[in-house]
Amino acid sequence: MAKLADALEEQIQAIFSGDTPWVTIVWDDPVNLQSYVTYVFMELFGYSKAKATELMMQVHNDGKAIVSTGSREEMEHDVARLHEYGLWATLQRGDQI
Amino acid sequence: MGDFATRGSDLMAATEGFKRHGAHSYVAQFDQTERVVILNLVEQIIELLAERVDHGHEDPLAAMVGITSHDSPPEDEVLHRLLPNAYADDVDAAEFRRYTESTLRGKKQAHAMSIRIGLKSSPEGDIEVDHNGANDWLGGLNDIRLALGVRLKIENNNYEHLELLSPDDPLRGVYAVYTWLGWLQETLLAALMDEISE
Repeated sequence: MAKLADALEEQIQAIFSGDTPWVTIVWDDPVNLQSYVTYVFMELFGYSKAKATELMMQVHNDGKAIVSTGSREEMEHDVARLHEYGLWATLQRGDQI
Repeated sequence: MGDFATRGSDLMAATEGFKRHGAHSYVAQFDQTERVVILNLVEQIIELLAERVDHGHEDPLAAMVGITSHDSPPEDEVLHRLLPNAYADDVDAAEFRRYTESTLRGKKQAHAMSIRIGLKSSPEGDIEVDHNGANDWLGGLNDIRLALGVRLKIENNNYEHLELLSPDDPLRGVYAVYTWLGWLQETLLAALMDEISE
């Protein structure tokens, strides 16, 4: 809960300071297994199994999902780690989705 | 996303895949055929991920800290899938690649090398890994599946062209290995999830 509040505060601060938050997007891929994608979300982001499964299903059904939000540097870090595990990820400004 | 993987092939029916073995320990036993197949594939991945040789104008100081002069995506389709663009925008993607591609190659090679060392040090095919070792196996097996997936032209869960291959088509064997590796990945994931949910 504390983590969520911190993340929210960070986003609100970013909006008022003029820094638009960036987002990491994971795209659907015909090779990566559903259980693997769920596990990678849990392992890299510390998400619960329920949250990781929900994001995985969003990728599967909608073709993509926003999996993390933050500064550009943070999102570059997340994308690099997702690429290390073979997920198809990109980052972009949050207001250009 | 890929379907739940089934064992699929009778060619590789010897192992039971990965199982939990106490806390943070996962074991598998491979027969000689399986051991050789995985070794061969990880060695190909390690070689594929070796640095591109550029045309002599690489700055040695920049290279030491992982900055490379190439910033275009790899031309090889498999390598492009393993080292994808981080941005939709070409200029941003090129800049990001220049500073990170070398590190990404190294990390992927490290996953593959961890598998290679495990198999090389166990001629009998007995593998035991901890949590980090399990992640190396997952990431390394996944890179192999991504590479084979490109060659097999696996798109949008369409396997019909592969199911209909004639028995003497070499791609049929590749598809059998692809399916088996997916099944192997599932057994390791099940073991890891089993531990997490306790």
